Amino acid sequence: MTAGGEPAVGSGRPVHDDVACAAALVGLPGMTPVRLARLLHGRRPAAAWAALLSGADPTASDPRWTVMAAATDPVEAAARYRTAGVEVIVEGDDRYPDRLRGDPGAPAVLLCRGDIAVAGVGPSVAVVGTRSATPYGEQVAAELGRDLAAAGVSVVSGLALGIDAAAHAGALAAGPGARPPVGVAATGLDVPYPRANARLWDGVARAGAVLSEAPLGSPPRRGAFPARNRIIAALSDVVVVVECHLGGGALHTAEAAARRGIPVVAVPGSVRSPASRGTNGLLVDGCAPVRDVHDVLVAVSLARAGRDAPAPALRARTFVAATGRDVAGALRAAGGSGDERCPVDDAAARAVWSALGPDPLTSAALAERTGLTIGDLARACRRLLGAGAVIEGPGWWRRRW
Amino acid sequence: MLASIPSAVLHGVDGIPVSVEVHVSNGLPGFTVVGLPDAAVRESRDRVRAALLSTGLTWPLRRVTVNLAPSGVRKGGAGLDLPIAVGLLVAAGELAPASVDGLSFAGELGLDGSLRPVPGALVVAGALAGTTLVLPEASAAEALGATAGEVRCASHLGELVGQLRGRRPWRHPDPPPPVAPVATEPAPDLAGVRGQALGRRALEVAAAGGHHLLLVGPPGSGKTMMATCLPGILPPLAPQVALEVRRIHSAAGLGPPAGLPDRPPLRAPHPGASAVSLLGGGAPGMRPGEISLAHGGVLFLDEMGEFPATVLDALRQPLEEGRIRVSRARATVDLPARFLLAGAMNPCPCGEGGTPGACRCSESARSRYHRRLSGPLLDRFDIAVRVERPEAAALVGPAGGEPSAPVAGRVAAARRFAAGRNVECNARLAAAELDSVAPLTTGACRILSAEVQRGALTGRGVVRVRRVARTIADLEGEEGPVRSHHMDEALLLRCRRDLLLGAAR
Repeated sequence: MTAGGEPAVGSGRPVHDDVACAAALVGLPGMTPVRLARLLHGRRPAAAWAALLSGADPTASDPRWTVMAAATDPVEAAARYRTAGVEVIVEGDDRYPDRLRGDPGAPAVLLCRGDIAVAGVGPSVAVVGTRSATPYGEQVAAELGRDLAAAGVSVVSGLALGIDAAAHAGALAAGPGARPPVGVAATGLDVPYPRANARLWDGVARAGAVLSEAPLGSPPRRGAFPARNRIIAALSDVVVVVECHLGGGALHTAEAAARRGIPVVAVPGSVRSPASRGTNGLLVDGCAPVRDVHDVLVAVSLARAGRDAPAPALRARTFVAATGRDVAGALRAAGGSGDERCPVDDAAARAVWSALGPDPLTSAALAERTGLTIGDLARACRRLLGAGAVIEGPGWWRRRW
Repeated sequence: MLASIPSAVLHGVDGIPVSVEVHVSNGLPGFTVVGLPDAAVRESRDRVRAALLSTGLTWPLRRVTVNLAPSGVRKGGAGLDLPIAVGLLVAAGELAPASVDGLSFAGELGLDGSLRPVPGALVVAGALAGTTLVLPEASAAEALGATAGEVRCASHLGELVGQLRGRRPWRHPDPPPPVAPVATEPAPDLAGVRGQALGRRALEVAAAGGHHLLLVGPPGSGKTMMATCLPGILPPLAPQVALEVRRIHSAAGLGPPAGLPDRPPLRAPHPGASAVSLLGGGAPGMRPGEISLAHGGVLFLDEMGEFPATVLDALRQPLEEGRIRVSRARATVDLPARFLLAGAMNPCPCGEGGTPGACRCSESARSRYHRRLSGPLLDRFDIAVRVERPEAAALVGPAGGEPSAPVAGRVAAARRFAAGRNVECNARLAAAELDSVAPLTTGACRILSAEVQRGALTGRGVVRVRRVARTIADLEGEEGPVRSHHMDEALLLRCRRDLLLGAAR
């Protein structure tokens, strides 16, 4: 932890170090990232804290703060963060991520569970998208997360349901040698949201880092999510939008990235799928399409090459060689090929097999397409399941691949 | 002078005999009703007075006291008008006491002296067995068959007085024709359901085994249509059950259910239904609720996710026991409620959750919707399937599928197997009996244990799947052990707790 100023005995009032004061400032009622940035503009937290206590601070946005500050002990606040295993990092500290330095929306104080050093060094890609994703989207996100992490790229995402969770889970599944992921949360670091992702939070924090601007105990707030998206964008070399509805939150991330000159790429989806309307719209607007990890790596190498110079326009896969890693190719060679033959030799099973695709099909639709009786259908599905060829979901089936 | 006239009031699906005592004496003219009358009974003073005067009879200008015994039971409804009027005439000396010997009365009076029908004539007649019951003409046919005694009828107080004085002949209700007149609208037939192989099969298995059924699908997928076809494929009611059904409908004041007397009833309450209207109760007669009106037939809850969770959870006990005990501070009634529960709901509030990625509901709205169906209630469904909108080809194609009649034939044949096991249907097989009546072949056993090991089935789930598998075997005419393909199908049709969550995908 970085100590800002030496604790000293001043004129009657104890002077606290910057970290303690930052911890106390973040927890003041009604504090927002914007207000905090105004309060800390051009001075260290200890100075801002002293000014606040004096009661004559023109940058204080809330009159209650002086009273609250008098009743708050910064040492105690800092101790709370220490016991929770959360590091408090002030803008300008050595450990503050390089990528965020000088960013127009840089958080004045960053809170971190895990190792802050993994954020902001080396190549880094945001994988974001809708919370109500289709199985297609989740699968693509998980594969991208896994392959990017294996290729040495840090995966940044928002720890939400759907695409975010799939991308993080994929990155964690890439194994111990892979690059650790970075999660950016909108709630306090002790308030996993959504609750269903609590284990994923722990996993990301243990392997990499989970960052937040919100104080401990902060519940999900409406405005915090779009604000969180700017950090995701600022931490990344490239933003990949996997699946997104029209007007979805992932478009905020894309917009924040575009404003910073960070390339945005999108995974194309079915033109009939509402969950792909936003991403297909991005493609129409000129974003480069992403088919697999290869395309992302091309975009990353371009983005990194052009970090200081103006980024060249994305063209085709002629830049593949630039990455030096053919991860997707290796995966394709190791994994199965595209068209498998039906593993069960039985007319009904073959009919089911050919009707099934990568997308799930309900039993009702399957009966409609194959024309089998329900008894024959059930038997064929069970046999395919026994052969490990299909996956059974609640009321639906799909091929395993 | 004193007169005592036997009558009865409704209490749940039973009648309580009430003795209407009328005392006329000298004193300040007045009319008092005692013995816990409700508002409708207290108002009968004005109806009785107007009816007597309109009929040309005299209203005694003396002190009249009416007591309804037993006086501790609250009495409601207008059915006591007629016994009060007759008692008054006897006590005032207009009629000879001997003329009402052995007679009991029930009926509502109009101001012109006409006799209006009363709800629950069938139940009232049951409570007054042993007497000769006099009823308004419109209610009399309903009471036939419920009492060993004679049933007489009249349509006007003047006519009745003439009959009691021996100046006019007694009239008797016409017995209803052996086959009720054809129902005004034909029952829905499965022939009108297009496509939907899975939904049809689920209906057939549910009807054959008496298994509760849940249909999940987007709007326009024909869930309502399919569920309303259920009574048409259920076997006709047994005479004993048919009588119970008639009693319940009579007590609710509904008259006999539509259609043939032995057709299973279908009740489809709106999601706005209150808990009391669904379960029964309400002062003072404790009217049977929708679940009792569905006794012997189908309770269809359309848009199940729109019902309040508390109302749905109140169904759990009657689903288990086949009866509902309605308790109030003043009284408790036991009402029969053995029905086949058919539920239908959308996969999510916007209805599009069945199509991958199409749902635009927020995560919280979706989970709120699904929480309406508690896990324990979901566990009561033996069969749950997701239905889809029929494909275009099925909609414009020439004809629908198989009509109801052959399906009903297969269902009846399967139920005969169940009768051989001394149960009405397989859904009521005790878990302990399953090993003897539904043994598994080694293949079926292997499939089932694989599912359990996968964590896809709980202990209770195993019992339900085995019952459904038994029904599927019965439908095939297979009396021996349950084979592996029966088990496959039962597993396909089973209700998974995550069915609703998965449907949102």
